[in-house]
Amino acid sequence: MKFKAFLTDDGITLLEKRFVPALDKMGRICHLYLTKDHAFFLHNLLNGDGVQSIAQFRKESLFQDYRISSQNDDRIAFAIDLGLLHRALRSSVSISGQGQGDVTTGYNRLQVKLAKKLTPNSQQPTPFLTFESKGYKSAVIQDVPISKPLSRADVMELQSALDMAQDLPQTLVQGPDLLQLQSFVDRLKHVGDLLNITVTQYGDLHLQLTNTLVTLGAEFRKLPVVGVQVQVPAGNENMSAQSRTKSAIERGEALSVANSKSLKVQLAINGT
Amino acid sequence: MSSSEADVADLVCQLDNVQGMVDALSSVRWKRHQDSVVELSEHGIVLIVEESGCLQAKVYLKKELFVSYEYRAEGRPRFGISLGLFVDCLNTFYVPGRASTTIEISYPGPDMQLLLKSVDLPDPCIYAEIRTRIPDTISWDYNFEPAGSTPLSFTVKSAALKEAIDDLEWPGSSIQIVMQPDPPCVTFRGEGHGDLQIDFMYYANTDLLIGFQCDHMVSYRYKYKFLRATTSNIPSSVIKDNRGSKLTIGRGGMLKVQHLVSVARPSNQHSYIDSAAYQQPSRIAYIEFFVKPEVDEEPVNDS
Repeated sequence: MKFKAFLTDDGITLLEKRFVPALDKMGRICHLYLTKDHAFFLHNLLNGDGVQSIAQFRKESLFQDYRISSQNDDRIAFAIDLGLLHRALRSSVSISGQGQGDVTTGYNRLQVKLAKKLTPNSQQPTPFLTFESKGYKSAVIQDVPISKPLSRADVMELQSALDMAQDLPQTLVQGPDLLQLQSFVDRLKHVGDLLNITVTQYGDLHLQLTNTLVTLGAEFRKLPVVGVQVQVPAGNENMSAQSRTKSAIERGEALSVANSKSLKVQLAINGT
Repeated sequence: MSSSEADVADLVCQLDNVQGMVDALSSVRWKRHQDSVVELSEHGIVLIVEESGCLQAKVYLKKELFVSYEYRAEGRPRFGISLGLFVDCLNTFYVPGRASTTIEISYPGPDMQLLLKSVDLPDPCIYAEIRTRIPDTISWDYNFEPAGSTPLSFTVKSAALKEAIDDLEWPGSSIQIVMQPDPPCVTFRGEGHGDLQIDFMYYANTDLLIGFQCDHMVSYRYKYKFLRATTSNIPSSVIKDNRGSKLTIGRGGMLKVQHLVSVARPSNQHSYIDSAAYQQPSRIAYIEFFVKPEVDEEPVNDS
């Protein structure tokens, strides 16, 4: 099992400034899944609990000289702490400066590879994702501890969860102003746990919380629709949000799911 | 709700400052789960909370606070509602980045619920239906009567009052309040784990103690936790506006604490006018607390 590549300047910026901090908010620990063509950061795909997040990068968007080999169809996956990864990236950036990488000599380029090392308190070698910045006279090495590589079965499971998650629903609506939505959901937390989310094929998004004491909801209407779409039914305007959603479900023009605690967001980010 | 249901509702009113109402109601929310009783009338809405037979608080939301107020009930409908739930629901109507949100409040819904919905937002439409219950029939006896011909009262800056009461947490469970006419002075004294005495001298601190009326010395003790409830949730707007709170001691030592909470529509047009001077007088919610004195020991009442 081998993995070795150089991070490009763009790749470093993309990860260090944008994706790693954003993904860190989803959860400290994620799976880094490397295949022949792609690198994925995956949250909660195996245990199915909590917010699932998938960030997919083509290898060219992050790496140069990308080399991977394993007995499992050249696929490697392991768990990594995004906080530590971010620290290693940040520190490498400040050591090498940006845009200094020399493609021909390899100096000042940031190499990343899988390594096993013996740590002082252990007899067993521990796996690391190693970042190496090499100058003319010095080299700085950052070892980010990772989990043992996932077994063949676990990688298969990860891949099939990934395949399933990439089946897009028939109808997607473009979300409303995210800050507004976030603030609303934050305030809902004080009222209850279980949230019903309904999306209609004419672009309505209805969030509703119901328990024995209260029914509380918000309806966002006429959002842009991607995929299967129908006309807004006549007479829809004069109905209350709840009866509008109910009749849409009865006509089969809406899909409703119940979620606990938080909005489960499927986040698919495709690298260029 | 269809228009025919709205026609028979006891009350349909609209409010353009949700935050003001949240502030007013939060100021009497001294613990997480609290039952309250709401009374509707042609004059407005009164919300009452009570604890241990020793502390009562009322929030008066006069009809002038509302953009519209249509009252059609016979008698005065009363219902019980969870205060925390009511406040948390109102809070969800606040939309960040908007100066104000207008909501419609109506009662009763088809199942005797209290209904809230946003009306000026085309998107999103937010609504809530809060279950109510039949209120307890026990009458809460907090008849506040003046102690004599001259009311015994003082008005102190709300921030200073809150700070004083917060400081008294350290000595502990029982706080003595003494008012004396000569020299005009109010003293808060706590004796417990330690002793702490806070004096508000009328002439020395006219900017702190704004008003003072007292013709004879009085002294009563109040449980710290009840005294603390009267200031623990004063909205920050009251502190920022540098308002005063009025405290009156009535017959038998009943303490009345009054705060004023602004429910004015937030406006930037008049920002050049001193905010304290520019208050729409009708857009104030009145908050009153009644605290019974401790009776287990002889009241120290030197008149």
